[in-house]
Amino acid sequence: MSYVALIFAPLVFSGFLYLFTKKSPLAKYIVLGYFVFLFVETLFLYLQLPQNGYLMLGKFLEVKEFGFILTLEIDRLSSVMLLLTSLLLILVTLSSWSMQKESAYFSLLLFFSGAIFGVFMSTNLMWFFIFWELTLIPMYFLVGIWGGDGRVYAALKFFLYTHVASMFILLAFFLIFKQTATFDMTQIQESMLVTPTLIWWLLFVGFAVKMPLFPFHTWLPDAHVEASAPISVLLAGVLLKMGAYAMIRFVILMLPQEAHKYAFVLLGAGILSLLYAGVMALYETHLKKMVAYSSISHMGLVAIGMATLSYEGLSAALFEMIGHAFIIAPLFLIAGFFHYKTQSWQMQDLGGIMQKAPYISALFVLAGLGALGLPATMGFVGEITIFLSALDTYGAWVAFIAFGAMIGSGYIIWTLRRVIYGPMSQKVQESNFSISWVEFFALAVFGIAIVAFGVYPQALFDAINEVFSAYNLGGAM
Amino acid sequence: MSPFVFLFGMALLSFGVRNVKILQPLSIVVVIAAFGVSLMHTATPLVGFETPSSFILFELVLFVVTIATLLHLEQTIAITQTLFLVATALLVLESNTLVSFVIAFESLSIVSFILVSFIRTKKEAQGAIKMFISGSVATAIIVLGVALYLLEGHSLLEAVSLEVKGFGSVGIWLILFGVFYKLTIVPMHTWAADSYAEISPANSAILSGIAKTVVFVATFKTFAPFLEKNTTFSEPILLVLALVTITLGNFLALFSKEITKILSYSSIAHAGYMLLAFVSVKSAYAQNALLYMAIAYIFMQTALFLLVDKLSDSKGELYLEDLKALGKKDKLSALFFSVQLFSLAGIPLLAGFLAKAVMVYALVDVNLVFVALFVLLNSALSVGYYASIVRYFYFEDATKENKINPISLKVYFAQAIFLAGTLFFGVFAGVVFEF
Amino acid sequence: MSSFVLALLLLPFIGAIVTFVVGKLNKKIPFFLAYIFSIVLFVDVVYLFSVYEQPFVIDYEWFRFGENALPFGIYIDKLSLIMLLIATGLGLLDIHFSHDYMKEEKDQARYYAKMLFFIGGMILLVSAKELLGLFVGWEFMGLASYLLISFWHYNKAPADAGVAAFLYTKFGDIFLFAAIGLLFYFTKTLDIATLNHLAATNQIDSTLMYVIAIFIFIAAIGKSGQFPLFPWLMRAMEGPTTVSALIHGATMVNSGIYIVARMFDFYVASQALIVVAAVAALSAFVGATSALVQSEMKKVLAYSTMSHLSLAFIGLGAGSLAAGMTHLVNHAIFKALLFLSAGAVILVAHHTKDMWKLGALGKKLFLVALFMGMGILSLSGLPPFSGFYSKDAVILSTLTNPQTFGLISSLTLIAGVLSIAYGGRLWVLLFVSPQKDEKLHNSIKTPSLFWIALPLGVMAVLTLALGFFQEELISFITSTKGSEEHIGWLFPFMMGVIVFFAFLVWFFYYKRLDLLQKVSAQPLMKTIHQILFHGYYVERMIEWFVQTIILGVVTSFVAFIEKNIIDKAVNGVVWLSYKVFLLFGLSKSSQVSNQVGGMVLGVVVLVFVMLVRNFI
Repeated sequence: MSYVALIFAPLVFSGFLYLFTKKSPLAKYIVLGYFVFLFVETLFLYLQLPQNGYLMLGKFLEVKEFGFILTLEIDRLSSVMLLLTSLLLILVTLSSWSMQKESAYFSLLLFFSGAIFGVFMSTNLMWFFIFWELTLIPMYFLVGIWGGDGRVYAALKFFLYTHVASMFILLAFFLIFKQTATFDMTQIQESMLVTPTLIWWLLFVGFAVKMPLFPFHTWLPDAHVEASAPISVLLAGVLLKMGAYAMIRFVILMLPQEAHKYAFVLLGAGILSLLYAGVMALYETHLKKMVAYSSISHMGLVAIGMATLSYEGLSAALFEMIGHAFIIAPLFLIAGFFHYKTQSWQMQDLGGIMQKAPYISALFVLAGLGALGLPATMGFVGEITIFLSALDTYGAWVAFIAFGAMIGSGYIIWTLRRVIYGPMSQKVQESNFSISWVEFFALAVFGIAIVAFGVYPQALFDAINEVFSAYNLGGAM
Repeated sequence: MSPFVFLFGMALLSFGVRNVKILQPLSIVVVIAAFGVSLMHTATPLVGFETPSSFILFELVLFVVTIATLLHLEQTIAITQTLFLVATALLVLESNTLVSFVIAFESLSIVSFILVSFIRTKKEAQGAIKMFISGSVATAIIVLGVALYLLEGHSLLEAVSLEVKGFGSVGIWLILFGVFYKLTIVPMHTWAADSYAEISPANSAILSGIAKTVVFVATFKTFAPFLEKNTTFSEPILLVLALVTITLGNFLALFSKEITKILSYSSIAHAGYMLLAFVSVKSAYAQNALLYMAIAYIFMQTALFLLVDKLSDSKGELYLEDLKALGKKDKLSALFFSVQLFSLAGIPLLAGFLAKAVMVYALVDVNLVFVALFVLLNSALSVGYYASIVRYFYFEDATKENKINPISLKVYFAQAIFLAGTLFFGVFAGVVFEF
Repeated sequence: MSSFVLALLLLPFIGAIVTFVVGKLNKKIPFFLAYIFSIVLFVDVVYLFSVYEQPFVIDYEWFRFGENALPFGIYIDKLSLIMLLIATGLGLLDIHFSHDYMKEEKDQARYYAKMLFFIGGMILLVSAKELLGLFVGWEFMGLASYLLISFWHYNKAPADAGVAAFLYTKFGDIFLFAAIGLLFYFTKTLDIATLNHLAATNQIDSTLMYVIAIFIFIAAIGKSGQFPLFPWLMRAMEGPTTVSALIHGATMVNSGIYIVARMFDFYVASQALIVVAAVAALSAFVGATSALVQSEMKKVLAYSTMSHLSLAFIGLGAGSLAAGMTHLVNHAIFKALLFLSAGAVILVAHHTKDMWKLGALGKKLFLVALFMGMGILSLSGLPPFSGFYSKDAVILSTLTNPQTFGLISSLTLIAGVLSIAYGGRLWVLLFVSPQKDEKLHNSIKTPSLFWIALPLGVMAVLTLALGFFQEELISFITSTKGSEEHIGWLFPFMMGVIVFFAFLVWFFYYKRLDLLQKVSAQPLMKTIHQILFHGYYVERMIEWFVQTIILGVVTSFVAFIEKNIIDKAVNGVVWLSYKVFLLFGLSKSSQVSNQVGGMVLGVVVLVFVMLVRNFI
């Protein structure tokens, strides 16, 4: 089988699925089945990886004059992302199992899977960019069609904002091609570049929007809030990770010297995101907005990890990326579930849900504790490893970022108090919190992962440590 | 035998065939034959006309688009006019001397006037008159330019001289400005925004899709060597014109409510993008960039105007409001519409993206980095209006009784051809580069 | 041996899960499961205690990120064993007591699972080899405390109290977290024994050591309810009394003292002990004086806990590890006794916590009154109860250390002797003063002998018996003999004051209650009463700061920036686009003559520009 089919087959097939299955439940079974296959296939690919470097999966559509070749190669970094993505896709499909009826929804998920696999598999800058942009299309529709009241504004804002940012990336890629005559990222070295500083800044801004880092984050609260819960999971778990992946791959690993020079920018943006978004989460009384800002705050932590440019810091950042995906997903899903049942996002309208839905509430508490970095959850491991790495690189003064944990505790604990605990509110009393077992299963998987990898993080670090072991990273200072 | 002969012959023949059911398949067969001839390189060109091999691909695309366009048409007169126009366009494309270019260009103008003179409503009359008057002024400018060129003793029977003396270069520039009328470059764009929106969308498709694109390629072919020689002067002036055209087109489209209006402005903006190839003419990528843009654009623009023609009501008006929930009412039309719009917006895996990408790269290639950024951001902004058209299809519920004309299977098929073109050239870039 | 240690570490968590899952089946199962698990744990600890020869060590690498490895080792020495005995022993008694106390509770499984989880956290804390493992246990206990305080989460007050407990302690925890990071950065080790050694041999920069010692002490302040982070401890009394007894009286709140004791060499070398002593002396005074006027019996005990934990801190701060640790041990036992006794009263009095509503319970609750009385005598520091020895040692250590002599020792002395006042007041009001509510009084039944009185009796005997083994205790903990210094006047002075206070209590709270009311009606006394009653308004101030400054000003300011600057800038692009649209719109005209005119004008301008460039 040609691996290019992993990208194009879903893209083409999703169109047919949309046109021909109408409203039959067939679509979701097909899509779920495909995602399971995808996960197995990715796992299989992962096991085939060489110790260092890339596993070549083929070259297609070569345009010599323009250095434009669909080169499919994966290394450890990209296959970790592929595994995370395919797992999340399965869980997202399960989470939408009984709430979504239309085949178009599942077709778009299928389309998205093709585009995102393209992002992680192609090592040609142009094709990377093509798939990068292509992910916007399904997201635009998924947010715009199945979102809340402000979905149109949110979808357009998301589309435009991130698309504008992508232009910086494209220009940077063009400059690279102009200066090196290749789009192949495995061949590009910084020494070949004439204007690495300009390229670094263009790439940084472009990817910072996707991550998102302060002050480029304002698309996110809108998009997350208006998107339906599984789509928020996809946004936070996959799309943001795509930004972080690109940040590691291009801004740090491809331009190491410039990255050393400007690591403080990344650090500053990370710290600001961590604290600023944390304070915004404290401010919010809108449940999902709170979760969205907490998501930004955690991505700030990831950025801090990256800014260390050290083997440890990058490993920690990658762990936190995965941890964040598992932690923020149930928060979004359950927040969405509460809204679905009570028709309210406002925390003051909720309260005492623990009495009505103890298991789901317990999962929400668990995920919340993960978000605030309680030991034995993935959140803690990510937090402490990033913290230690940041100290290692930048010295004692960065210890103040521990205050991020205090802010995190503040917004999570107050939210739990207002939503889960306390006397039941009127709306909660009137609502019925039944959940289908499929959706509960998806939630439980997240919950188990948060604790399992929190107690035994080595299982993940075994894979993560190998990701960066091949790179010669000196640390930022 | 040249493809021109096929088309021109068929156009003449069509006066005799009054039944559209016969004429349509017949003309399609003839265009296919022309396609074959062109593909085989067996054409024997007329004097003063020939197609360099690098332009063959564009010619083939032109035939494919013509076939798809013909499939949309339902009146014999429209088919006849289209055939005449495409035949003339071929002449423009193939012209290789200044005189043949000017003559072919003027013939195309005349055929265009005839095309729009098929007037059914007052609005169409307005559009036609604006176009006609502006066109005659443009012709006057071209004639003035030709006169100045001759005055300095250059010959019209050759390609544009690279060693232009004295007022001769002013003459060349005047000819270019005259041609810009057809290309809708600022400041010669004023008529286009109104006319494209006012005449019947099917005619807009042919004019802004086929005719404009062909003239663009032909102009590049004719004037590129001259411009390359005079970049110190041509680069800044064309750059300013291109950027103003792009920005004006995009920003005026951004807040328009009528679809044809948006498409007209988008057409103007795309003229600006294509003009960028004239700016970066020194780059080895400029010609490919223009060809790519022309190929992509001819598919997108023609398809969209034709689809609007089919969807709009008897008055020929189509507002965004009317398209609400198109995605539910007519899945296929909405899909065709959205894909072509995204292609115009420059979303990847569609021809529009690669075309724009190569075009912008050509700018980077001649070290106009910040111009490239400006163009990219402009293009990104244009997503604002393209995506907000799409949003009416899918995100909005039908509010009032907005009826959408049912669309025939034939039209779906024709649109599928356009879609295939947009998708094909969005993925297989090698075809353009290596043909 | 190692299997016993591993069992000790893992069983509580396994037990918590099993109890929670299986416990859903039947209402009775959770108690017995938890009971069995806690017996096993206690036996396990006793076994470890009996075979102890030298510190038991397991090295384990938790995980490795990049080149760095984070260790998670086990280190059980005598200090740990003492803490383990307290945790599992008192935990067992507490769970035993819970059988009756939590009888009415529907959600048995959740309660016992959380209790086991808490015990697990405590075990983890005291057996950790590295600061990291200690932090994990530290946070686990914080979580358990939060969950158990808001056990009755459907009521507003416990839910709020849980929030307060979590956030107050978390504020301290981030300093511990930062300290761990700094230590790892500077010394590359988190092993407590190594750190102590490094500190003692002056291999760590003194400023750094001082800062880290202070950071860790801030965490201890939060966890052990010291000034100014104590208000959560008072709020925590909203939880079940069994929880207050175990977590907020006997075990978790000790962890602050434990960490200072565990890093005692580090503290000695860092010169930060005087800060510990100073803060603790203030806390001791605040706690003791506030305890004097509380009307809820659990709040009296909570303030008393605060005050006595401070005494243990002071002992450490004055340089006497023995004094501090023995007081910790003694206090854990008699405070658990007092809390559970109060729990017994609360249980039979249908959850009446206000002691002014109760009285004359001595006959009905003879055993409870007896055991509680013993607890209070120990609390007050009367020989031969164990409390006497350690309290005396603490006061002695402050007087003999020139650094603490003066203000700190005076405050300590005051706090020390006030114990009899609030303790006696509590006892008198509950058991001997006249009854106030006939109906309530008549409905009170004698509690079960086995489930309620037995654990109290065990603890009462312990607090008495331990008094005779103080030397052994000290030598077991510190491997040195207790302080040989004595101050002649101290014992008679203390006894005199205690008797005097006991008399005062008897006089005002039993003999002449009317006089008390008269005195307290004085405006000055009223003001003092208010200040003390509200714990010196510390909570109000902190709450004001958080609500007004943090949640009010800071978040509103950030939200203002977000909405009016950052997001506006984005939306401003749309506005700007519209302006550009209008600008271009000016050039738009649908009049043909204008259009053509524009074209011609444009061409003329272009030609003009060209001519200018070409010919001039």
